[in-house]
Amino acid sequence: MLLELHNIFKWVTQGGKRIFLLSDINLQVEEGEFISIMGPSGSGKSTLLNVIGMLDGFQEGEYNFLGESVHAMKEKNRSKLYKEYIGFVFQAYHLIDELTVYENIETPLLYKNIKSSERKALVADMLDRFNIVGKKDLFPSQLSGGQQQLVGVARALIAKPKLILADEPTGNLNSKQSEEIMQLFKELNQEGVTIIQATHSETNAAYGSRVLHLLDGRRDHK
Amino acid sequence: MIRNYFKIALRNLWKNKGFTAINLLGLVIGMTAVILIGTWIQNELSFERFHTNEKSLYKVYNRSTGPGEISTWDITSGPLGKALENDFPEVENSARIYWSAERLFGVGDKSIKTKGNEVDGSFLRMFSFPLLQGNSDDALEGVNNIVITKTLAIKLFGDTDPINKEIKIDNETNYKVTGILKDLPSNTAFDFEYLISLKGNETKYSGSDAWGINTFYTYIQLKPNTLIVHFNEKIKNLVERKSDKYKWEIFLYPVSQSHLYSRFENGKVAGGHIETVRLMAIIGGLILLIACINFMNLSTAQSQKRAKEVGVRKVIGAGKSSLISQFLCESILLAAIGGILALVIAAVYLPYFNQLIEKSLMINFLNPLLWLGLGGFVLFTGLLAGSYPAFYLSSFTPVKVLKGAFKGVKSSFNPRKTLVVLQFSVGIALVIATIVIYQQINFTQNRATGYNVNNLVQVRIEGDIKKNYDLIKTELLSARAVTAMSKTGWGVTVDGSNGSGFKWDGMEQENLNFSLYRTGGNFAKTMDLKLVDGRDIDFSLFPGDSSSVMINETAVKKMGLKDPIGKLIRKDDSALTIVGVFNDFIIGSPYDDVRPMLVFGSVDGVYNIVMRLNGLNDTAKNLKIAADVFSKYNPAYPFTYHFVDQEYAEKFKDEKQIASLSSLFAGLTIFISCLGLFGLAAYMAQNRSKEIGIRKVLGASVGGIVKMLSKEFIMLVVIAIVIAVPISWYFMSEWLQDFTYRIDLEWISFVYAGVGTLLIALLTVSFQAIKAAIVNPVESLKTE
Ligand SMILES: Nc1ncnc2c1ncn2[C@@H]1O[C@H](COP(=O)(O)OP(=O)(O)OP(=O)(O)O)[C@@H](O)[C@H]1O
Ligand SMILES: [Mg+2]
Repeated sequence: MLLELHNIFKWVTQGGKRIFLLSDINLQVEEGEFISIMGPSGSGKSTLLNVIGMLDGFQEGEYNFLGESVHAMKEKNRSKLYKEYIGFVFQAYHLIDELTVYENIETPLLYKNIKSSERKALVADMLDRFNIVGKKDLFPSQLSGGQQQLVGVARALIAKPKLILADEPTGNLNSKQSEEIMQLFKELNQEGVTIIQATHSETNAAYGSRVLHLLDGRRDHK
Repeated sequence: MIRNYFKIALRNLWKNKGFTAINLLGLVIGMTAVILIGTWIQNELSFERFHTNEKSLYKVYNRSTGPGEISTWDITSGPLGKALENDFPEVENSARIYWSAERLFGVGDKSIKTKGNEVDGSFLRMFSFPLLQGNSDDALEGVNNIVITKTLAIKLFGDTDPINKEIKIDNETNYKVTGILKDLPSNTAFDFEYLISLKGNETKYSGSDAWGINTFYTYIQLKPNTLIVHFNEKIKNLVERKSDKYKWEIFLYPVSQSHLYSRFENGKVAGGHIETVRLMAIIGGLILLIACINFMNLSTAQSQKRAKEVGVRKVIGAGKSSLISQFLCESILLAAIGGILALVIAAVYLPYFNQLIEKSLMINFLNPLLWLGLGGFVLFTGLLAGSYPAFYLSSFTPVKVLKGAFKGVKSSFNPRKTLVVLQFSVGIALVIATIVIYQQINFTQNRATGYNVNNLVQVRIEGDIKKNYDLIKTELLSARAVTAMSKTGWGVTVDGSNGSGFKWDGMEQENLNFSLYRTGGNFAKTMDLKLVDGRDIDFSLFPGDSSSVMINETAVKKMGLKDPIGKLIRKDDSALTIVGVFNDFIIGSPYDDVRPMLVFGSVDGVYNIVMRLNGLNDTAKNLKIAADVFSKYNPAYPFTYHFVDQEYAEKFKDEKQIASLSSLFAGLTIFISCLGLFGLAAYMAQNRSKEIGIRKVLGASVGGIVKMLSKEFIMLVVIAIVIAVPISWYFMSEWLQDFTYRIDLEWISFVYAGVGTLLIALLTVSFQAIKAAIVNPVESLKTE
């Protein structure tokens, strides 16, 4: 078991009233799964991914990651856990504009205090794998959307995470680029990486082994 | 990791070149000012600290208790030093120094005027003025020995070895060079280019009543571990014990304190240069603060744009501490670049600054204090400026940062706004101070002097002038180069002497203190004074005028005289007859009331000539004739003269210096503050470009948008004015208290300062606002 959510509630208080962003979410994810989260806009897909990714908190419920209870953890330990096991891919890529392709991919390794020689080898591997060796000295603004997302995925993968969270990774891409990214995810999944993606597209969702439907912050079991 | 930080930092700075330039400029200006001020303060604080015997060197002061006032002076009698040395085992050494005199030095056919002192031989052993050649132990022990500075030696002797060469002084006596002094450092109050052995000359200065005539400065070196308080108690009454006649007390005062704390009031130390040092320290501190604030404000404004980067870094694994170190690294890097630039600029501008403060400071790049201070400042500013983005931004959850949660944060208490208000408050207060100081100077400069300062020239009586005075006078008058001339004791702009103890019939106020002045005749005529009553002193018509005195109108009033002419003024055994009353004129400080003044007729003790040039001639022509006549009757000396109007203008030197410094620093402060405003306005415009675009699409006018953008900043300046006005009102009225003759504070000058600053600020902000407002909305909306 990779992770487990039990009766998760998340809300914000507005004008004295609670607005539930997530209610009573239960979810179990095994290692090696490829899950797609679907639901209409505003249904809470991003919110759920952020909770799973420990980028955001929740008010009620239990969250266990590799047998450790995340909700009871100190920020520091949570951050360590996160750094060790999770990689994130965003719809808006979120590359650092001031860094080159090479440096963007390298940065997570810096935060893990990996030696320079080892870093070089790992980044070179990654560039090679994604066929972007020729672009390594370019800045994000000099790349197409699809290329930027490739860099985003490469960056998420470089630290060898067990779990990749992708929030509409192809939302800004055309269908051919989408297909490439999805193909890549499929390969990664076959190599043993667990993937959870939020998506609007049935085609993309089909790459997954299981689909989870959300509606107004609840699981929709229809 | 650090390398990675610096790389990104440099890229960021380069990417935002405009911002970096503005931020650096403010910081560099501030730091440059602080380095210059710091160098000056360091110099002031180091005065007389370089003497090896610094801790045991003292100057002897006299203290005399009169009615209602204790006066303190530092000129002592001749035998005092030796008496202290002989009678008290605590005294290691003593040296006298006769006051500074300009003398004519002749070597071969070269002659130069230069200033220096006569001293006891022990002077060179007590003070650390090292000899480059010669031996400090005995260089000045022989009669007619002289030591000269390296600079003077080169001027007189060129490349040849000056030791044992002869210098003819004042065209009379030959002196033998026995040593070459290292040129004096800038942190000493001593000011000599030569030192002459006092041996053989001292009797000239003391006469028979040696204990009563105060002509020397006396320095004492005490043995280590002498308790000065006890020692001063022991020596207090020495003069009375020795002379049986003079009752003033003596005390020793540390040489190391004598520069910073030199003013005595009522027998106690009341201040001195330390006041200027404090003022400069405060101004330096304020500029530092303002530069710091600027740097912080601009850096933090900039860092908000980096929120996204912070979020992304957190998502890919950055911990709080690594983000904090990244931002601190960046701001420290920028501050360090600023520090180095400031050091370079300070070195370049030092000569101009020296001119302004009339010093010859040097930046000692080997001084560890400089590097420590600069390093400390860079670290301090860097940490302060970096701490906001470092701690604030990195404390948010990444989701919030990525969603741009900060842009929405709008609290009414915004630290950045508070800082802008603080900056402008200081700036406006300095501007007000500058205006008030200039008004006070103008006011006093326009005060009626009471005599005609134009066309008046003074010449010192030296060489053969004394002997040939009458011939010179006759010749100048008949050549019509001058219309009148008079011999006087001091120059006519020097209130050099004062005294009390005069008595007269109907005296009501005991011990009225008078300015005392001597003339050899024709004083009122030469000065263009109005004779209110009686006549001028004139020995050619009244040979008995050495018992005559003229008084000014204030004296008439203060003495309570009804019909002054013919009345007697007595002191001790002598009596003087009042022969004339002249209108008040300013001889001392133009900021003070004119004091009662006595002008004695005297043939002795006159060292100065004042001449009224013929106004009908060209000044150059008059001076040419004067030069010819003086050279004819005093051939050994070059003709040197001074214009009285220039000497009078010297009276405003200190205040003018303060005025130019305060206007310089006020200008810098406002400039730095406006740079900050400029930067902040630019950021605001950038941040709100989308909003501006939408508003324009919805129909807002350019004017409306400019108003919307400027309003907030202008409010800040208005608040600053409200804070600055009462504070500067208070301090400037305190400052004016020091002057008897002074302006009243006028609200209009405060209005000028406020409105002026407001206009400058408005210009700064509206430039950005207009720029933002006229952008085609399609452009700004496209970019998001
Ligand atoms: N801080 C917040 N305050 C109030 N409401 C919030 C906040 N954050 C998110 N929401 C709300 O939570 C709901 C879920 O948002 P979320 O971003 O998870 O939706 P989503 O399913 O990812 O939608 P989309 O497909 O459009 O990306 C939305 O209705 C949103 O308005
Ligand atoms: Mg979403």
